Amino acid sequence: MAFDIYDFTSLTSSIHEGLATFLPPVGVLVAEWLLVGISVLLFVAVFGLILVYLERKVCALFQQRLGPMRVGKWGLLQTVADFIKLLMKELITPNKADKFLYNLAPFIVIIVTFMAIAAIPFAKGLQAIDFDIGVLYVSAVASLGVIGILLAGWSSNNKYSLIGAMRSGAQIISYELSVGLSLITMIILAGSMQISEIIQAQSTGWFIFTGHIPAIIAFIVFLIAGTAETNRGPFDLAEAESELTAGFHTEYSGIKFAFFFLAEYVNLFIVSAMATVLFLGGWMPFHVGSFEGFNAVMDFVPPIFWFFGKVMFVIFVIMWFKWTFPRLRIDQILTLEWKYLLPINLLNILLMTLIVLMGWHF
Amino acid sequence: MNNELMFFMLSAVILVFSVLTVTTRKILRAAVYLLFVLVATAGLYFQLNYNFLAAVQLTVYAGGIVVLIIFSILLTSHISERAPIASAARAALAALVTVAGAILTLITVMQFTFRPAGIPPISPNVKNVGRALVSYGTDGYALPFEAISILLLAAMIGAIVVARKESNNQSTK
Amino acid sequence: MASESLILFFITAVVLVGSALIFSNLVPPKSANPAKFEPYECGIETYGETWLQYTVGYYIFAILFLIFDVEAVFLFPWATIVRETGMTAFIEILIFFTILGLGLLYAWKKHALKWE
Repeated sequence: MAFDIYDFTSLTSSIHEGLATFLPPVGVLVAEWLLVGISVLLFVAVFGLILVYLERKVCALFQQRLGPMRVGKWGLLQTVADFIKLLMKELITPNKADKFLYNLAPFIVIIVTFMAIAAIPFAKGLQAIDFDIGVLYVSAVASLGVIGILLAGWSSNNKYSLIGAMRSGAQIISYELSVGLSLITMIILAGSMQISEIIQAQSTGWFIFTGHIPAIIAFIVFLIAGTAETNRGPFDLAEAESELTAGFHTEYSGIKFAFFFLAEYVNLFIVSAMATVLFLGGWMPFHVGSFEGFNAVMDFVPPIFWFFGKVMFVIFVIMWFKWTFPRLRIDQILTLEWKYLLPINLLNILLMTLIVLMGWHF
Repeated sequence: MNNELMFFMLSAVILVFSVLTVTTRKILRAAVYLLFVLVATAGLYFQLNYNFLAAVQLTVYAGGIVVLIIFSILLTSHISERAPIASAARAALAALVTVAGAILTLITVMQFTFRPAGIPPISPNVKNVGRALVSYGTDGYALPFEAISILLLAAMIGAIVVARKESNNQSTK
Repeated sequence: MASESLILFFITAVVLVGSALIFSNLVPPKSANPAKFEPYECGIETYGETWLQYTVGYYIFAILFLIFDVEAVFLFPWATIVRETGMTAFIEILIFFTILGLGLLYAWKKHALKWE
């Protein structure tokens, strides 16, 4: 492989050996845990702040405004200032709430996002856990997030919260099916669920090109369902500001509110990362057939930049959805899922199976 | 961290929250404690390296059944009321039955001699699961696989018949 | 071992949320005003009970979701071995989908997929 210099396996193993020279085995384990834990925390915090800033800038772009401009150069420090403000706010627990569940809900949504990040491949060798069930693991863990939302809405003892949570629950579980079935479509093509193997299978070409028609259908379905899974517009009727104040997190204040906000953006990242892994080749560089010179130039860009470049592209498309389409009603959302996406997905799986068995893919 | 410590920690979580599930007086909290039990069970499967079963446990039980339970709790009236405290006689009877059941189970388990299986273990890799699922030889599961679709069909029709009837009654009220 | 890394990510998340909650409970200024702890609804005092019986519509979709979720779980291992099994896999899944499709068709005809 041409890009072995960018392989993170050697880096991680050299860190491991370096630590092992002056620490006992238990010390090595603790040091590595601290290292991984702190880097994951930093990644989530920094990436979350960047995404919130980007969202506001993208929104401003579509509405022909400038967006945040005052705090720092081009408003770059705006989200940092917002974060400090939220951290310094008093935590309010409504007196009619179920206090245990009310405090448990932010824990559940954040734990779920962290567990899902564990299986995201940032670059070759830079992945915490490489399961044989990788893709299924991410979708299984992510499916627990809905419980946090339902508990948050119910325990607040607020009518807006409860209505928002119920709508959100029905929407998330419905679209989870479409996410799962479009994942299955791509697993048929890849022949594996292990994330590293799926990416390796795309070294000759990204699945969205090699799988052509069924892959493109699955990609569109995945983007729609993924947007709905993360409760983002046009599927944001769970927190429809104009009718439900803020939906399931109406009663949450200060840093607890910030955790729901953060979880939404980290989930956006997870959905985009899964789209990147399954359709856009993960951290694989862009190659054109046997065009050697071009391919060599592409290999020169480190995989981590490829990965984040593609993720940012998918995130931009999903933000584009939010600021372009009007919000759907609950009956329209359920009709779209159960009468259109689900049958299309089932037929698409059959089509993909036929294409793979007949060898009609590239 | 060694395997045994993990096993005892997960078992402790399962035991404590199982007891809390049946003893709490708030119905939605019971559902949440049940969620913890199911997730800890998935942790045990991960511990055994049976990742596929763990993921199934998370998707179907923790992410599916618990959500269904929460929705069905919200369907009942009197959610906010606490369950009444059982009378002393009933509590004593329940404790007696539980202890008797536990003793019976323990005696059975203690008396049984566990023999290692004669056949070599199959790796629980998900591809092996898939191969067993589609093969129709002596150790294949192709027929059960198809039979599941009929079971799911029956479940779907049953659910629709029951739930729709209920909603018709509501609309006539 | 994979499960140990899982515990690591679990602990990291708990530490993040827990430490932030402790910080926010200790440091920020507090002011006591009884109205602050009322439900945030529309300005006047909240009317009636919030935890009431809810519409059955959500329940039907939850059951349909569960059924298709179980189906998807069986498809995952099947999907990984389509390439090596060949036509057998296709025929088996065709039968599987036909039977399940009947169920979806039944739900559609009974208007169970319609929101009300």
